[in-house]
Amino acid sequence: MSQNKDDLASSNKKTISLPISRVRLIMKSSPDVSSINQDALVLTTKATELFVQHLAVASFNNGSGKETNSLSYSDLANTAEETETLHFLTDILPKKILARDYLTSLEDFQEEDADF
Amino acid sequence: MASSSGNDDDLTIPRAAINKMIKETLPNVRVANDARELVVNCCTEFIHLISSEANEICNKSDKKTISPEHVINALESLGFASYITEVKDVLQECKTVALKRRKASSRLENLGIPEEELLRQQQELFAKARQQQAELAQQEWLQMQQAAQQAQMAAASASAAQQAGSSQDEDEEDDI
Repeated sequence: MSQNKDDLASSNKKTISLPISRVRLIMKSSPDVSSINQDALVLTTKATELFVQHLAVASFNNGSGKETNSLSYSDLANTAEETETLHFLTDILPKKILARDYLTSLEDFQEEDADF
Repeated sequence: MASSSGNDDDLTIPRAAINKMIKETLPNVRVANDARELVVNCCTEFIHLISSEANEICNKSDKKTISPEHVINALESLGFASYITEVKDVLQECKTVALKRRKASSRLENLGIPEEELLRQQQELFAKARQQQAELAQQEWLQMQQAAQQAQMAAASASAAQQAGSSQDEDEEDDI
């Protein structure tokens, strides 16, 4: 029945899965943040949940794993780079490179030094 | 995993909670482990982002405590305005639930009936119960009595029958 579906959707929206106490701790570890109203805390927690969902869905839709039904680190990194509101994540999202590529570029670098 | 150095910045949302959310949002999708770890860290980063922005907004206003309004404005200015409706809904729902819970407990305390009346009603109920028990006990006793009487009578008539048998013999002699 349609009412059941609504209930499911609304119960999905209207409960909070993330631990509010942990969110409070993280907020307080931000510089200069002093006190937070309880309702404000609830809002932030829910917003964080929505963020996780948003990030996951956007990365999946945007990513290369759709055919194989998978989500990879680079899907997330790429999506963050391409989406303006996600640019705040660039600091924690170094694009990973293969170790051997790094070593190769390191070798090249050393070779250049040697020539010198 | 996270070192127990007690450093505030190592605080993250528990991995299990994130895994659960990812599973519910993207069912049947294989998510790489390092991707999950990344999401956990992104969460922390997001919370810092919102807190800082809301804090700035709060400082500009005359308030000392970050209010829901500040958070909502922060979401708006950071480009997450699309979250606002749902986030407000949840807040409303939480408040409604809290209100219902308070009402329910006060409803129990206050059925509109004063305490003495409640006490009186209780005593009435007790008295009724005692009476019923007494009646039941009496009935049982009566039944036992009747049963005993019947047993007695049965025994008496049995012995009477015996006597009757022997006195008949005597009678016959007298008639001659």
